[in-house]
Formats: sequence, C-alpha cells, structure tokens
Amino acid sequence: MAKPGDEAVSDGLASAPPAIPQRRTAARPRHLSIEQRLRWVGFLFVLPALLHLALFKFYPMAQALLLSLFRYDLLSPPRFAGLGNYRALYENPLFHQSLGVSVKYTLGVAIPEWFLALGLALLLNRAMAGRGVIRLAYFLPIAMSQIVVALVWKFLYHPHGLVNGLLEMASIGRINWLSEEATALPALMAIGVWRGVPLFSVVYLAGLQAIPGEYYEASTIDGAGPWQRFRYITLPLLRPTMLFVIVVSLLMAMKFFTNPLVMTEGGPNGTTRVLPYFIYETGFAFFRMGEAAAASSVLFALAFLFTLVQFRMLRRETAE
Amino acid sequence: MTGRSARRILGWAVSLLTIAGAGLVLLPYFWMVSSSLKTQDEIFRLPIEWIPRAPQWANYPTALARFPFEKYFFNSTLVAVAVMASNLFLCSLAAYGLAKFRFPGRESCFRAMLSTLMLPLEILLVPTFLVVRQLGLLDSYAGLIIPLAVDAFGIFLMRQYIMDLPDSLIEAARLDGCSEFGIYWRIILPNCRPALAALAVLSFRENWDQFLWPLLIASKESLKTFPLGLALFEGSFNASYHEMMAAAVVGMVPMILLFLLFQRAFVRGITLSGLKE
Repeated sequence: MAKPGDEAVSDGLASAPPAIPQRRTAARPRHLSIEQRLRWVGFLFVLPALLHLALFKFYPMAQALLLSLFRYDLLSPPRFAGLGNYRALYENPLFHQSLGVSVKYTLGVAIPEWFLALGLALLLNRAMAGRGVIRLAYFLPIAMSQIVVALVWKFLYHPHGLVNGLLEMASIGRINWLSEEATALPALMAIGVWRGVPLFSVVYLAGLQAIPGEYYEASTIDGAGPWQRFRYITLPLLRPTMLFVIVVSLLMAMKFFTNPLVMTEGGPNGTTRVLPYFIYETGFAFFRMGEAAAASSVLFALAFLFTLVQFRMLRRETAE
Repeated sequence: MTGRSARRILGWAVSLLTIAGAGLVLLPYFWMVSSSLKTQDEIFRLPIEWIPRAPQWANYPTALARFPFEKYFFNSTLVAVAVMASNLFLCSLAAYGLAKFRFPGRESCFRAMLSTLMLPLEILLVPTFLVVRQLGLLDSYAGLIIPLAVDAFGIFLMRQYIMDLPDSLIEAARLDGCSEFGIYWRIILPNCRPALAALAVLSFRENWDQFLWPLLIASKESLKTFPLGLALFEGSFNASYHEMMAAAVVGMVPMILLFLLFQRAFVRGITLSGLKE
C-alpha cells in the first residue's frame, strides 16, 4: 500500500512549518476542501487540551501577575497597591533569606544529581550477574510516595533514630539533624538526592543504551582506552540527555517543598523555608495573597530564566 | 597477565560497590518495615535491632483503625484514576492533532503548551486556588480532579510516539471512509498502546500521591487523600512511630506493586520523555 515515495511526501506534510503550504498534487477543488477540513479537524483535536491549559495555567499566571499589584486577603475586595507588594518583599528579610535557601537547596540537590546519576547509570550499564535485580533495587525510590519519604526520613533523622544510632555505634555521637540550623537544609538535600538520582539514572541509562556498540568496538580497535572512550564517545553523544537532566532536575528541586512543610515547617529559624514554602505561608497562613502572588512572579521569572537558557543551549545543539 | 587479573579484581570491586550501594538505597524501606513491627519501646533501642524479636503484627490494624484510611485510600484511587483517564484521552487527542495535522499556528500552540511544563501546580498554587474558588469547586472531587486533567508532559510524550506512526495508516483509513474521530479512536489509539501504558503508569503514580493540592482545597474529612491522611496522622500521633511506619507501609504497597508490575512501562515513559527532542 505505502510506496516509499508516499512516505517521503507525507513525512514532509507532517513536519513542514505551517506557514509554507505544500500541495501533494496539482490541487483540484475537491482536494482543497478536504485539506481545509483536515486543518479544522486537527485544530479541534488540540482545542480541549489547549482550553484546559489556558484556564488552569495561563489564566492563573496572568491573574498572579495582576494580583501582585493588589492587596487581597480573600475576604475583603482587592485594593490596588501598585508595586507595594514588591516593595514589601524587597524590605522583608524573610524573603531574602528564603530566596537564598531556595538557591542553595536547588543547586545542592541538582548538581550532585547530575554526577551521581551519570555514575550510577554507568555502573548499571556494565555487564554483571543479577543486573536486573540490582537495577530494580536502585529504581525503587522512584515509586515511593512523597509523604512516605518525608515520614520515613523524619524517623531516620530523629534524635534517637537510625542515622544517629549508626553514628553512635561508630562512636561519633548524635546530631539533631532537623533542629539545628547548620544541618537541617543539608539533611533535606540528602533526601532530594536519594530520590532524584534513580530517576535521572534511568534517563541516562536510556541515553547510554542508544549509543551504537560499534562506536566502542571501532575505537577499541584503534587503541582507545576506557577513559578515552568515555571522553570522546560517551560524553559527546550524551549531551542532549545531559541538557534534559540538568533542566528537569533544576525545575524539580526549585518547586519542591513537601519535605520542609512536613518535616521542619521551614525551621529552624527559617533555614529550610524555600521560596515555594514562603509563598504558601504568605498566602494561606497569613492571607496576604497579593504579596504571595508577587513572590510567585519572582519564582516564575527564575523558572523562565532556567528554561530559556536550556532552550538556547538546545537550539545551538541541534543547529550544529 | 597481571594487567588482566588486576582488571578482573577491579571489576569485582566495582560490582561489590554497586551491590553495597543498592543496599544503602534500600535501607530506609527495610528500616520502615522493621520498625512497623516493633513495640514502642523497641524502636529507638541501642544497639540497633535490625529484625524485631517478636513481630507486632497488631500494629497494622491498630494504626489503620485510628483514621478512616479506607476512605482516604478510595479518594486517592478515585482521583488518580480520573486524572489518568482524562490525561490519556485529552493528551493523546491533542498529540494526534499536533503530530499529524497541519493548521496555522500549530507550532506556537505546541510551544505554548510545552511552556506550561515550567508552571507546575506548586508554582501556581495561589492563583490556581483562586480560580478553583471562583469556579465554586472548593471541597469537591471536581476541584481535586479538574485542575490536573491535562498535563503538557502527556501531550509531549504522546506526540513523540504518534509522530513515528506511518501516515499511510491514517490515509488508508481515511480512504476507507473512516470518520476523523474514528481514525483517532480505532487506528491511532490501538497503535500507541506502549506510550499510553507508560503515560498511564506515570500519571497514576504522580496523582495517587497528591498531597499539597488536597491539603489546600479539601477541608472536608470525606475528601482527603491517603498522603494527606498520613501527614495528618503524623501530626496527631507524633510519638507512636511504630504505628506511623505501619500506616506508611500500607501507603507504600500500592506504589511498589504498581512499579514491580509495570516496571517496563515506567522506564519507557521516562525514556520516551527524556531521550528524544
């Protein structure tokens, strides 16, 4: 049925930019109307999802930007405040602290994930006995519910919990992990890394397996050592995967605040109050919706910046 | 000769390290199950008791009787299934439209949809709450489900898959007089089963685990989800860690089962979304 020529033409149809119409054949009027009809059909298929995203993503985002210019406590009607909310944030030391905590947390989780996940993927890609079972063991944290993770780790970090028990058996002494300013945030970062590394190593593993084995064979024949194979074959071919991992890990760490909420309530002294938690508190504990919206706008800007940088890098990548 | 045996020893060492690492990753689960079977006095005892001497199976019924966990369990499952079903339908439909039709503004549509990936619910918490309040959906199943009914991630994943389906499949059906929706329903959907399965598993996992959103909009006891129930349990029975761990194990079991049963679909989902582009 499908001749090779057909394939090529229809392929062009599917991927051509819509601005340049391509006619399949010298168009008879009947064909034209079918094509026009198909345009509508395609658009109608996309429409429900588009409307949903407009209502629950774009409209809320626009509303947040607008609301950030008002004072609003949910009860009395909003009052225009100009840039008052932004000024309030600028003068609020808790906001500055929270911004700093967020940056520290995001980088402190994402950067170790990049390297550990790649390392783990390389380990799991080796031929070894029982590889399937070992992979399964590593990937199990992906399936863990976030609240279960929070509860279990709170229990592990308990002053008399397992972590301190092990330290005590090694005669190091106990640490109040979650109630000391110096250790609370790193303790939460460790959980983030424990949970994120398996996820991203699945992505890396897929990337590794997509590299044709012949490349390695050929380079071995040419006398390349393991390091050279890694440096000149694996790394360059993994670049798109790496970019994906970098951006997704940053976005994931940036938005996360279940653990601070459940385990530390942002404490001690605000050292674990990440920005999304600050927004949550400002909005739903203090009912300063306008100020929360202003802080959300700052968070959008950060997320937007990260994504923009990634798209730039990706475009350069595909252009090469 | 010595080089080869050195390499073999190194290989063994790396394998051992891999296995030890797996043990370390699994330690929290093991400790959780072990603690759920201890008495209150035993949980913090030193030296560490890895395996409880007399397993306290009664911890499970005791813990589960403290809260209406069956109701929470039902709510989580209902929300997860409804969100999953709507995502499977709406995302695959939109993905088909984006992958196999040409219309003005298609690329901008796709880009706009993709851009919502950087606007997860956690970041839009305050305004989404206000929208749902305007719609009068606070404290209802609809309020729990509808805001999550489309996730751009699903559109992206399905589009990747549908683009690779041959156009001849669609054209043949069209020549046979199949309606456009019929082509989607009878030709496209059956041909993307692997991608649908991957999306189904990822979506179910994520949404069974909803915590923040229900925390905000479900103040009625009868609407709370299992993770929310667990968090409340923690707040009210702070000291009884053995019971909390028992409840947590119960909450973990569906996820682990899902993961073991659909491991392939999980991995395929993560791969499909990450590898291409």
